[in-house]
Amino acid sequence: MNRALVPLLVAVCLAVLSLPDVAGFVVRALGLQAGTPVPAGRLAWLARQHLALAIVGFLLAGGAGLGLGILATRAAGARLKPTLDTLAAAAQAVPPLVVVALALPVIGFGAPPILLALAAYGLMPVMRGTVGALATVPEEVRRAARGMGLTPAQTLVRVELPLAAGPILEALRVVLVLAVATAAIGALAGAQTLGTPIIVGLQNQNNLALVQGAAAAAALAFLADAAWLAAMAGLGRLLRG
Amino acid sequence: MTSLTRPAAWLPLAAAGLAVAALAGLPFLTLAPNRLVPGAPVGCGLPGAAAGALAAGAAVLLAGQARSWRARAALAAALIAWCVLLVGLGHGAAGLLAGQKPAARAVLGSGAWLALLAMAGLAGEAARAILPRRGGLAATLLLLGLTVLIAWAGLLDSLSLAVEYRARADAVAAAVMQHLGLSGASLLLALALSVPLALLRLRDGPAARLVDGLVSGIQVVPALALFAALVAGLSGLLALVPALRSLGLAAIGPVPAVIGTAAYLALPLVSGLAAGLAAADPDVLAAARAIGLTPREVLLRVRLPLGAPVLMGALRVAAVQSVGLATLGGLVGAGGLGALVFEGMAQFAQDLILLGALPVIGLALAVDAGLALLAGTGEQPA
Repeated sequence: MNRALVPLLVAVCLAVLSLPDVAGFVVRALGLQAGTPVPAGRLAWLARQHLALAIVGFLLAGGAGLGLGILATRAAGARLKPTLDTLAAAAQAVPPLVVVALALPVIGFGAPPILLALAAYGLMPVMRGTVGALATVPEEVRRAARGMGLTPAQTLVRVELPLAAGPILEALRVVLVLAVATAAIGALAGAQTLGTPIIVGLQNQNNLALVQGAAAAAALAFLADAAWLAAMAGLGRLLRG
Repeated sequence: MTSLTRPAAWLPLAAAGLAVAALAGLPFLTLAPNRLVPGAPVGCGLPGAAAGALAAGAAVLLAGQARSWRARAALAAALIAWCVLLVGLGHGAAGLLAGQKPAARAVLGSGAWLALLAMAGLAGEAARAILPRRGGLAATLLLLGLTVLIAWAGLLDSLSLAVEYRARADAVAAAVMQHLGLSGASLLLALALSVPLALLRLRDGPAARLVDGLVSGIQVVPALALFAALVAGLSGLLALVPALRSLGLAAIGPVPAVIGTAAYLALPLVSGLAAGLAAADPDVLAAARAIGLTPREVLLRVRLPLGAPVLMGALRVAAVQSVGLATLGGLVGAGGLGALVFEGMAQFAQDLILLGALPVIGLALAVDAGLALLAGTGEQPA
């Protein structure tokens, strides 16, 4: 729980800062023009939309990255690894913002461009993490499992994945936080996220909406980090008995 | 290991299949009445069929036994297919525009994009079969060179993207320079900040944990939120201390973009620098101290050279990220290629978005490849 405490505290502070009255006070204290506030209810609705988008994007990237990572470490997929590495590196070289911009004229406004961007951007960290983690499983362990009569699939599920779980889960955490943070960009393609008040604030010089959106988006990302860390700590305690 | 070369033989076949399917089933070009309206799709005709056949031939050559003449022939076929496709696109566009109003545009269709991607993939696979390590880079350079030659000969002039480029060539060139300036400045600022932080992290203790928490905490903050917060924070600061304006500080423009980008580069740089400086074997460090080197000499003459590969790796990650992140600067008035992208998004003009986005991708890949080459030569044993 200790590791989750700091991000949780930061998330709570930022969430308080995103409330209309608190943000209004801070903006005026900075000597800036405030503009129209975003009501707390609207902010909460945007946060739910934001989270839903981020989670779908995370599941897409995590599922595909895990699958490709496992594939690349099987004997049948070994030859695929350089190609997968090249593809994943190319996906990483294209920033999410550029994916959203390129996808916009092709697949239209709303959620699809940002989901595509989240999936493409999260793919490489998960794939690299999975490949690296599975490579740490000693060859003797694999041979022992085969000697006990386990099929390759059983070896993967019962031996390799449990042994490699730590780094894989860490890579998934990074990608979850990345997805929650990056989902804000979706606002540029018309998706309703916590990035929406930021864009509106930048365009209309509304510093209040800008600060509210920025604080809320950051709060959500820290909250996701804290939730994952707490869940993993709980899971670890459960498994240890 | 030779038995492992067979299973992925389907990969070139899949790429060729994708190319053929895209050419046969998706629009090759679209004819639009102007640059903002979606157009009517047009099929690929003879050049598309020829390119598809060449791609299939290349895939069959690659799928067979691994012989070097097969790989060379496959690379040649993929490169010729690429050229046939490009010339076919340019020629087709010129044919479509003949007799149309001047505002009409011949836009690359989704089929053409997919087919070009698949051809590039095929060329990459073939080049990698010849040169396992530098094959991808060689294929990229070859494809790029051929494209530049074809464009230089004026064969692509009728394509909408080329028309848009001619209308904005100066703006694109200026944006590329601005973009390089933004990412370079961010990288320098981040390096200046990261060196002391990494040195601080080398010693264990509360300071190291604080540095760790701070640089990884920044990564959690959404980039859009950080840029927005910097705009608000800087305008607040300038309202409190107006004298700072005379120093060139402004709430909108390159200042928030450079600070924001540099903040995200701190994590790869600090952890890379710290890992690189810690890479030296404790025995080596003890020996260095034993022969009477001062801590400063140990740092500069032992830790730095031994950690160089890790340092270069971190620099590479940070440099690629800086190119991508600087795109967001367009949103806070810093200019660069991001400004073109956002203008294109606001107008829903696909060609303008591409004019901004393609150079970003190209710069990121070029920076990555360049630094990889540099690191590769540095790593070679003397």
